Amino acid sequence: MPIKVGDRVPNATFRIMTAEGPKPKTSDEVFKGKKVALFGMPGAFTGGCHAKHMPTVVQNLDALKAKGVDTVAVTTVNDPFVLAAWQKAIGSDKVELLGDGNIEFAKAIGLTFEGTAIGLGTRSQRYSMLVDDGVVKILNVEQPAKFEVSGGDTLLKQL
Amino acid sequence: MPIKVGDRLPNTTFYVMTPDGPKPKTVDEIFKGKKIVLFGVPGAFTPTCHRNHLPGFIQNAGAIKAKGVDQIAVTSVNDVFVMDAWKNASGADGKIDLFLADGNGDFAKGVGLDVDSTGIGRGIRSRRYSMIVDDGVVKTINVEESAGKAEVSGADNLMTQL
Repeated sequence: MPIKVGDRVPNATFRIMTAEGPKPKTSDEVFKGKKVALFGMPGAFTGGCHAKHMPTVVQNLDALKAKGVDTVAVTTVNDPFVLAAWQKAIGSDKVELLGDGNIEFAKAIGLTFEGTAIGLGTRSQRYSMLVDDGVVKILNVEQPAKFEVSGGDTLLKQL
Repeated sequence: MPIKVGDRLPNTTFYVMTPDGPKPKTVDEIFKGKKIVLFGVPGAFTPTCHRNHLPGFIQNAGAIKAKGVDQIAVTSVNDVFVMDAWKNASGADGKIDLFLADGNGDFAKGVGLDVDSTGIGRGIRSRRYSMIVDDGVVKTINVEESAGKAEVSGADNLMTQL
């Protein structure tokens, strides 16, 4: 049931932090007519996400955009206040952070996992995708607890 | 159904950040034999929690402990990584002793102070409150009516109750 190449991304509403506070952003507003490199991660500030995955996104952001990607985005099941703090911590405001606080997007694409055993509740799996005008063109889903296929460097090579 | 004075806290499990990474810690392990001031917040980094509620406890930490309180703890339905980042960002280290991550909302539900914040994209969260807990039993509890305020649940009010 998870989303696959060729599928359209589902309709969901993210929450992002803006200068005026949290605002909703629909998947149409994110994906319509654009080429988006989207990275899903289990959680802001968490070990693998913060120390390993996010750096590969930040480091490859310019190169991804040079290859025609319009938006480089990361989505996690966190609220926009936590994401605003994380934005400061990652040192780049060019990565767009899409809050999926109600797990709406992660559930709709069938890429959640249960982090209840470590007190995280239901979260997004780790993955990278290239979405073109709402259609999934590339998808790399990471095996649990690993970090091999979902980095920014790998996606760059696949473009 | 919310917890009241005289009740014992439910024995749920929090997560705390240690030098060796996240570790579980039960309510019994934390509260047994101690006088602890516990305040609950809707969310790490959220405006009222970050600018009003938490700072009040940081500023009054010394005075609160001078009145016989062993530890000051804060809990929120956030994971242990976010709570640790919040601790570092707030300068709370050394003042607030325990940042208790209630990532699954078990404690908030267990004390009947959970609230459905799905409408604003936050899932199940804790209400805003403060408590004085002695050896696991609630001695005083102040539940804030409106999440955007930190009046009855703030440090100033709690100090008058010690």
